[in-house]
Amino acid sequence: MATLELIHVTKRFGKKVVAVDDFSLRVEDGEFLVLLGPSGCGKTTTLRMIAGLEEVTEGRILIDGEDVTDLPPRKRNVSMVFQNYAVWPHMTVYDNIAYPLRLKRVDKKTIDETVREAARMTKIEELLDRYPSQLSGGQQQRVAVARALAVKPKLFLMDEPLSNLDAKLRVATRTELKAIHEKTGATTIFVTHDQSEAMSLADRIVIMRDGKIEQIGTPDDVYHRSASIFVADFIGTPPTNFIDVEVQVRDDQIHLVNPYFDFPLNPENAAKLRDYPKRELILGVRPENIVLVSEDEAIFSTQCLVSEPQGSHQIIAIELDGKIIKIVAPAYPKVRSGETIHLNFKQEAIAFFDKDTGRRIE
Amino acid sequence: MTAQRKSAHLGKRITPYLLVIPVFIYYLIFWVQPVLQQVIRSFLDPTTGQLSLESYRLVLTDPDFIPALRNTAIIVVISVTMEFFIALFLALIIKRDFWGASIFLFLAMLPMALPPVAVGAMWKTGLTTNGWLNSLLHYVGFLPEGEKIYWLAGSTWKMLALIIIIDAWQVIPSVMIILLAGLQNIPKELEEAGYVFGGNYFTVLRKITLPLLRPTIQTAVVLRLIAAIQIWLIVIVLVGFSRLPVLVERIVYYHEEVPRLNISPQMAAGYTMIVTVIVSLAALIYLRLSGAFSRREGG
Amino acid sequence: MSTRRQWLKILRGAQMMLFYLVVITLVFVIIGPVFFVVSLSFLSAREAYSYPLPLLPALTVRYQLTHGERGYMLSVYDRVEKEYIPVLDTDDLEKMATYMRSRLGTSVTVQDIEAQIARLQQEDPVYFTKRANLLHNYTTFFQITRDAVPSLIRSLQICALTILISLSIGGMAGYAFARYQFAGRDLLKFSALFVRMFPGIAIALPMVIILAKMGFYDRPIGLSLVYAVGNIALTVWITASIFMGIPESLEEAAEVFGATRLQAFLRITLPLALPGLAAAAMYAFLGAWNETVAALILTQFNPTFSVVVYQSLVGATGQINLAAAGGIVMAIPTVTFTYFIRRYIRQMWGGVTL
Repeated sequence: MATLELIHVTKRFGKKVVAVDDFSLRVEDGEFLVLLGPSGCGKTTTLRMIAGLEEVTEGRILIDGEDVTDLPPRKRNVSMVFQNYAVWPHMTVYDNIAYPLRLKRVDKKTIDETVREAARMTKIEELLDRYPSQLSGGQQQRVAVARALAVKPKLFLMDEPLSNLDAKLRVATRTELKAIHEKTGATTIFVTHDQSEAMSLADRIVIMRDGKIEQIGTPDDVYHRSASIFVADFIGTPPTNFIDVEVQVRDDQIHLVNPYFDFPLNPENAAKLRDYPKRELILGVRPENIVLVSEDEAIFSTQCLVSEPQGSHQIIAIELDGKIIKIVAPAYPKVRSGETIHLNFKQEAIAFFDKDTGRRIE
Repeated sequence: MTAQRKSAHLGKRITPYLLVIPVFIYYLIFWVQPVLQQVIRSFLDPTTGQLSLESYRLVLTDPDFIPALRNTAIIVVISVTMEFFIALFLALIIKRDFWGASIFLFLAMLPMALPPVAVGAMWKTGLTTNGWLNSLLHYVGFLPEGEKIYWLAGSTWKMLALIIIIDAWQVIPSVMIILLAGLQNIPKELEEAGYVFGGNYFTVLRKITLPLLRPTIQTAVVLRLIAAIQIWLIVIVLVGFSRLPVLVERIVYYHEEVPRLNISPQMAAGYTMIVTVIVSLAALIYLRLSGAFSRREGG
Repeated sequence: MSTRRQWLKILRGAQMMLFYLVVITLVFVIIGPVFFVVSLSFLSAREAYSYPLPLLPALTVRYQLTHGERGYMLSVYDRVEKEYIPVLDTDDLEKMATYMRSRLGTSVTVQDIEAQIARLQQEDPVYFTKRANLLHNYTTFFQITRDAVPSLIRSLQICALTILISLSIGGMAGYAFARYQFAGRDLLKFSALFVRMFPGIAIALPMVIILAKMGFYDRPIGLSLVYAVGNIALTVWITASIFMGIPESLEEAAEVFGATRLQAFLRITLPLALPGLAAAAMYAFLGAWNETVAALILTQFNPTFSVVVYQSLVGATGQINLAAAGGIVMAIPTVTFTYFIRRYIRQMWGGVTL
């Protein structure tokens, strides 16, 4: 088990393309860290630099305090699960798991025990004599995980390992991965573009955008205390609603004003904006933090555009300022399209973002 | 640490060059060297060793030059066009899975595999007046008793046609396999999408398959073009030297048939250079016209 | 509705029939000429020069023997004319046996003929049948063609060396082409065109001097070096396509799990590329085995097999049935390899395009 440190790591392809830009991070022993971001944000490049598959342009990478920046992959004692699994097609499942151990000159008996142990953990004991071409995608994925487990690495790297599985299997497998992590306690770096995967697996999530770190935090942090519009928009389904508002000070109170509503902020929120110099900002409200209320408690009323029943709840869409705003409401009472609804915000759960930088205003 | 890092990076960067350098050294010794020697020779007077354009003057005033150029041009234009379309047709046939497709592919590749010597023997024995082609026509009742077709006698046009047909017989497979590989690499879904959105076989072929196949077509055609301009062996085997002059046949003629004439080395050198220039120009013009240079490589 | 469906069925059937008609026609166009040469290689010398040519070789030859002006008159049954044609009138039985062996393709001894002559006492003429020796042309080709066997061995050596050179040098470059971006990558790609732009025959002549300086003239290695030029270019394309078809992540996985780059290549990529590389090797074999012109120029006392066959074809003593036999012997390995290569077309040609 190990710690991982990335110190001002930068990766440039050629002279112009900056894939990873001044990336610094410390991963604690036994932590499950998820690199999350849209495709092309540099998360896979970061992982490949940690593995040693990609050269680091600037900066250093430390595993357990040891500088591995210029070590080839084989000397870093890491293991990896690839997006397409990279299960060697000309070896049996057994040999796929055993080959890395043979490379490390482990004795035959230990190899056999280790392979069977890893196969047991990933439930592929009956498949050991098969060739990858005889396996389903899900089974190949298990082989890749077993192979990565068997070498007992310092770091466990996973590059979108679930993205090629169908939806149901993906959810089941992620539970198993979590269980395996809990059993082994291996420090894990997991790359994904699927935010729900990240939320369910991570101890901490690193959200990346254009090669830079947008936010590092626990799933709760990134969800409830999103550091920027980008994060608030990327995390959560449906994503956060953003509404352009104007700040007005009247009767010693701070009001948020919009053609549709005008309401005073509670003291906690007002404190955040007391020293804010600009008059315009963006209000961020998660769909479940807009609530249906009676007409006299409402700060604004509008017509329901579409309602989508989801069983346990319903998603209501309204139009505000030319934008679609989504609301997650309890399943009952059912709201029908065209019905007039009265709405209020949960003030303790709203966020403010700077219109120019997109950063959260604290 | 910086020194170590530099060497680690350098090691990785020079790997491809280490892998590629042998090829270029090899070309330098066994291709560039002899080619340069030939090029230089074409500009020298063999007796005085002075710079001279005599080789070129000799070739350009050679009474066989214009016919050779014309015959080559005719063969190239007709061969390359015809061979391309037949090869494409064959590739499209083999691509669809039918009973016997695998064995048909093998048969279709057969002419390419046969040694040119064997192919020469085959057509030589076939086209003589007592050959198997006349025999076959006789058996099927096409040729009455006592009548024979004199395949290898007659006008230039007749011989050109024969050579184009026989050349096509042998080289179509090599064009076909390149096209076939290209066709097999086109994801099926792209064509299926064409059908789903209302295309019939020919619109899908024209609007989806062929545009996607374009890089492959360019490859196959340019390789064929380069080879077609240099046609000669089948010409000599069938009609002999000088009866149907083509450009490279002239080179071989002065090298092999009359090597002791005073003008032979200069003639051969001059024809060689002219062929090289024509081949390069043709390849360049084709690649430019077909847009191979404006397209960036993907992946 | 159901009649419409029936019509469609008939239409599809007709389409299918048309399709197979095209396929069968093509098969005949391809097989036809090959069939005749194969057939020709089994014909006796007499039949090979008759007209019209028999379509199939005879399995047996029917003879008629009678008294002639100079001794005994031998006649042979002509399958086309459907009658016995006199071919030889002699009293030299040795000569008759030789004639029956070399011209008519039957294994006959003097004793055999004496036995038939003995029968002439009772009946005249005597009829008898001999089994045709179908491989007669092949054995004769190797017997009378000086150098046939050594040249065959030499050609095999040349092919092996050519494969070795082009696959090692070209294979390395092909791997680099498939896996790396580097300056000169396009040059490497277009070199397959460059080396073909200069007429091969024009290179062969200066190569005589270059090879002589190196001491490789008129030796198998010399020809291999020349053949490898064109083959390397092709091998780069083919091997690059093959390596492109093997996901890089398989190698990367091996590296992450403790292999060096070389180990990863040898243990992971190479085994997976092996069938494709074998096909590439066979491709190189075809080129080297079939080549005749450079071999004519670059050998003197040690010709290749293709040169030997070529000379039997154009030479003054050339008999078309023997030349056909030589051609068939030459074609056997190429046809066999083509049979194996056909599965790898996509692997070999699918990756690199201009």
